[in-house]
Amino acid sequence: MGRYVIRRLIQAIPVLLGATLFIFVIVFALPGDPIAALAGEKRQDPNIVLILRDQYHLNDPVLVQYGYYISNIFLHGDFGRTFAGVPITQLMAGKFQVTLNLALVALIMEAIIGVLLGLWAALRRGQAIDTMILAATLLLISVPPLVTGFVLQLWLGVWLKQTVGTEIFPIAGINGGLRSYLLPGFVLAGTSIAYLTRLTRTSLVETLRSDYIRTAIAKGLSRRRVIGRHGLRNALIPLVTYLGADLGTLMGGAVITETIFNIPGIGLQIYQGVYLREQPIVVGIVTILVLVYIVANLVVDLLYAVLDPRIRYE
Amino acid sequence: MRKASTDVLPAEGGLGDEPLLAVENLHVEFATRAGVVRAVNGVSYSLGPGETLAVLGESGSGKSVTAQAIMGILDMPPARIPKGEIRFRGTDLLKLSDEARTQVRGQRIAMVFQDALSSLNPVFTVGWQISEMFRVHRGMSKRDAYNKAVELMDKVRIPAARQRVNDYPHQFSGGMRQRIMIAMSIALDPEVLIADEPTTALDVTVQAQIMELLAELQRESNMGMILITHDLGVVADVADKIAVMYGGRIVENASVHDIYKTPAHPYTKGLLESIPRVDLKGQELYAIKGLPPNLLDMPTGCAFHPRCPYRQDNCVTDNPPLYEISGTRSSACHYWREVLDGDQG
Repeated sequence: MGRYVIRRLIQAIPVLLGATLFIFVIVFALPGDPIAALAGEKRQDPNIVLILRDQYHLNDPVLVQYGYYISNIFLHGDFGRTFAGVPITQLMAGKFQVTLNLALVALIMEAIIGVLLGLWAALRRGQAIDTMILAATLLLISVPPLVTGFVLQLWLGVWLKQTVGTEIFPIAGINGGLRSYLLPGFVLAGTSIAYLTRLTRTSLVETLRSDYIRTAIAKGLSRRRVIGRHGLRNALIPLVTYLGADLGTLMGGAVITETIFNIPGIGLQIYQGVYLREQPIVVGIVTILVLVYIVANLVVDLLYAVLDPRIRYE
Repeated sequence: MRKASTDVLPAEGGLGDEPLLAVENLHVEFATRAGVVRAVNGVSYSLGPGETLAVLGESGSGKSVTAQAIMGILDMPPARIPKGEIRFRGTDLLKLSDEARTQVRGQRIAMVFQDALSSLNPVFTVGWQISEMFRVHRGMSKRDAYNKAVELMDKVRIPAARQRVNDYPHQFSGGMRQRIMIAMSIALDPEVLIADEPTTALDVTVQAQIMELLAELQRESNMGMILITHDLGVVADVADKIAVMYGGRIVENASVHDIYKTPAHPYTKGLLESIPRVDLKGQELYAIKGLPPNLLDMPTGCAFHPRCPYRQDNCVTDNPPLYEISGTRSSACHYWREVLDGDQG
């Protein structure tokens, strides 16, 4: 087990380097000069431009720039500064937490709703409820979060408040504590819930067809035990993989949701970063998202080894 | 001591005239999109304590489906049992409630499956899987149940059982896995053991060891055993009687001795002649011509007639009954006399 963990950690290094290099080069390739963009329409003093270019290593080849960038991250925890001089880490402090909270709320909703609906559909396969659940997931997948967001804001935010008299689901900001995260969390989780429902259904149906389930039945075990112990334990394995990898997707996907619900997280920040062409902000946040992806995948791989004994010894 | 709810079944003891297990005119069909597949068409056989019945036949002959019907592990639907009885100690299992059926399954009638790797749950240790029988059905504590599991693993001769009880199925060799499967099936001293091609997935050398183990366990406990196989070589040493199945019905019943010496059905005869023999080395091996019948579209008359060297006109129209040849022999062939005499029509 120990060796497995170490091997997976070592494997994560080239992934991290490759992913960050990719993002760095892409942003580098974007047209426009960031120093020129700083001053807008005004004329710049050529000397100051030179100093700034030197300060941000903009005259060096792209790989050297990347080298400076990545070594600053790992040696000093320094993700760089905005062109206005604010450290990215300072800019992100607090915002990262907000987005993580939002993503976790979404992940929990996804896990509970997705798995339960999927199990229900699988156990009633071919019956009306199965068809209804599948149709509902299709709807969730087809409607973009932009639409679900505004519709839920209107129905559960505005109309419900008018009907009941008090606010149950806040529609903007994060001042309502956990309650503020419920609507955006659901909107963010929407398509993931649908995919997880389908995955759970398929996984359990597949598992229940396997030979060891037949053995469990032949052992004279109750249906409850056959499905609950022998089936579920095996059916869960692919779901854990999906859920783990989805944490990264949810954090990245928060851009739209945070914009709709005006939530001050890194999604909103990245939106503003792109809008203002603040490349260090974009690269910095995306790098952190890549890190989240890698860590989440690592956790998934380790969980996988716990859930499936066949992995440990290979 | 059995749990109270099994009382719907006759207690152990004398059997009287009743066989331990009797399958009577069993029909099983599957509803598929292409139509109704009649997998088992009127199969009857019986089994006494300590007796081994070998059920022989190729894939699709209905031998496994019959076994699954006895165990009650068919998926219903799509499977359906429109006719027939499965009497265990005089009680028709098909008439029992689901609950009572569950009490019989695993505890009094147990089954060993073909491929032990896929038939054992990959995420639980073998000790957990064997001891589950004692925990669930006998209410034993975890520790006692594990000790019982080790005992059973010793009994099926798994080396260093105590060290290996916490290993997972994939850490064992094929033969050892099948031993674990057997240990699990005999855990609660069943009265009937159904072994569905228990050696098919194994090396020839290991096959013999597993058959030996099964025969030995049977002698010790006097359980009745149904051995399902397509391999005539496997059954010779262990079986008392043989039922040959073709197209969902039994085409020949015989003792092992009789069937090897003088088969009374052309299909059995074909099977025997297609076994490679050292003394016929260099000669072309006999093969039964044609393909197994399509269960969706069975041939008229005798199901074997399209492939039969003894075929006459009436075989195409009249499905032969099981002709009684002697007290222990029967054959579903109009021309069993000619087959016995070896006189190719």
